[in-house]
Amino acid sequence: MRRTFLKFAGVASLAAILAACASGPKFQEVIAGTPNLKAGEGRIYFFRSSSMLGAAIQPEIRLNGQVVGNSRPGGFFYLDRPAGNYAASAATETEKSASFVLQSGETKYLRTSPSFGIIVGRIVVELESPEKAKAELLSLSYTGGEKTPAK
Amino acid sequence: MNFLSSKCRSRVLLALTISLAALVSAACAPMVPIEGATFTPIAASASPLQLSTEVNLKLSTGYSRTLPAGSSWRAVGTLPQGTVYQRINDVFTIEGRQVHEAYLVVQRSALLGFYLPAEGIFSPLTPSVSLPLGAP
Repeated sequence: MRRTFLKFAGVASLAAILAACASGPKFQEVIAGTPNLKAGEGRIYFFRSSSMLGAAIQPEIRLNGQVVGNSRPGGFFYLDRPAGNYAASAATETEKSASFVLQSGETKYLRTSPSFGIIVGRIVVELESPEKAKAELLSLSYTGGEKTPAK
Repeated sequence: MNFLSSKCRSRVLLALTISLAALVSAACAPMVPIEGATFTPIAASASPLQLSTEVNLKLSTGYSRTLPAGSSWRAVGTLPQGTVYQRINDVFTIEGRQVHEAYLVVQRSALLGFYLPAEGIFSPLTPSVSLPLGAP
C-alpha cells in the first residue's frame, strides 16, 4: 500500500514539474516577430536553461522592484526598457540582485539559475555573455513577460 | 509540539536550525567594498586595451573572477583612481552580496579596482593586480 502511494506521489510530482516547464514558441519563431527597438530603449532577455535541477523553484522575476515575469525551466522572455540603470532579482528567500546599465540600442542577457543551500533552494540572476546567451536561447521557449507593465 | 514523538521533534528542530543557518549565511555574504567616484566620460579611444594572458582575480568578497586572454576593453571614462575600461562585445561582473556589472579601473597597467556603472561607484581591488597587456 505504502509502495503504491509512493509510486503515485512520484509520478504526480514528475507530472507537475513537467507541466510547469516552459512550452511556448521557440526563440527563432519569436525573434521573427520581435519589434524593432524604439529610440532610446534597450532590450533585456531573461532566460533559464531547461535543466530539471530545481525545476520546482519558479519565482517571480523583478526588475527595479517590479514583477516582470517568472523564472521557468527552459523558458525565456524579453522586455524593452528605456536606457538607464537596472537591478534584476528573483523573489526567493534570499534575494540576490544583478545590477547593470542598459544603453540605448543595447541588448543585455540575464540568466536565472537554481542554487542550493543545505536545504532551501533559490534562483540566482546573473549577467550572461551575449555569445553564450544567444546559443542557449535557441533551444528555449517563450514564456512571456510584462506581468505588470511599466508605467 | 507535544503531539510529535521526541525523535520526530528533534528532526524538525534540526531541519529548522539548518534552514535558518542557510538563510543567515546567504544573507551575510560580504558586500563589495565601495568608494565614491567622479566618473568623467571620454570619447572612444583609438586603441582598446587587450590582455595577452588570462588574469585570475580573487575578490575581497571571497568570489573570484577571470579576465580571459585576448579579451578587449575600451576606455569609456576616467576616475581619479585611473582610466575606466568596458569589456568589448561581452559583459563583466563582480560579486559580493549582489552581482554588479563592472568596468576595469586601470592606472599604468595596474588594475586598481572596478567602476560599477549602475551604481556610479568605485570598488577597490586589494592588492592591485598587474595586467599583462598586449596581443595574446
